[in-house]
Amino acid sequence: MFGIAFGVLAIRAGLAPWVTVLSSFIVVSGAAQFAMVGLLAAGPGPVLIATTGLALRHLPMSAKLADLIGERSLPTRLSLAWVLTDETFGLTLRASQAGVPDLAAYKAAADLMLYSAWVGGTAVGAFVGRTIDPAALGIDVLFALLFLGLAAPLLRTRRDWIVVGLAVAAALLAIAVLPEAWQVTGAATVAAFIGTAIRE
Amino acid sequence: MNDLILILLVAVITFGSRAVFLVRRRQVPEGLVGRFLEVFPLALFIALATTGLAAPDGYVAVTPALGGAAGGVVGAFATRRSLVGTILIGAAGYWLARMLVG
Repeated sequence: MFGIAFGVLAIRAGLAPWVTVLSSFIVVSGAAQFAMVGLLAAGPGPVLIATTGLALRHLPMSAKLADLIGERSLPTRLSLAWVLTDETFGLTLRASQAGVPDLAAYKAAADLMLYSAWVGGTAVGAFVGRTIDPAALGIDVLFALLFLGLAAPLLRTRRDWIVVGLAVAAALLAIAVLPEAWQVTGAATVAAFIGTAIRE
Repeated sequence: MNDLILILLVAVITFGSRAVFLVRRRQVPEGLVGRFLEVFPLALFIALATTGLAAPDGYVAVTPALGGAAGGVVGAFATRRSLVGTILIGAAGYWLARMLVG
């Protein structure tokens, strides 16, 4: 479903269908790809800053996964890194808590399912998307709801709630005073800097 | 910048961040850098959601997307912060607002 939505929005934003499918093939990140499509009109600078910001969340996930899978060959570790998404990481974490013995094999299977659905869905959306009006179906709202849904599990402490409040306020202010290209990254940077100063 | 080059750069940044601790095991940074790493993705997700839901046309306005925002917040609480629950109930809120106010 999200792959189809991404494919539709990407070609509406001006990407060629084959480039859209290639992006799902090599990036494999709904958050980064939806942000890229949303910021495409703003230029490469905002896209790359947003992508880097979104990628920061992979660092602790990567460190935790390294602990979970233990000693593995470099090709195995790199292939598991390829599809290190919020969803497959969450599933692997749950599997470790449930005592699944071979977490590398478990994650590889989860990766394969997610990867094929994501790339296949993108291809459907990219090649039939010209016949679909995203606004009529509310697909553009799904993009924003995805980010709300990704933020929800990250809310654990009082500081996180303060960062949410700061990010909402900063984003509303940024919409009023900043060029569109810098609204999201500007708001997130201000909120994160203030949040960093707050000790738990 | 060519779209293809931009996508390749996005892929390199994304894969690099995923592979860094898997290629060579090391400690996640602590202190100020560690705290920034923790909070920046959350701030970015919320900023992306806020601009998309509060200002879908580039300026703050009352639109059915706010119904989506309300539904998404309710969905997050009602489903113990599940991604799917947040999106589904948010989409329901959006469609309800759209039926009520057009």
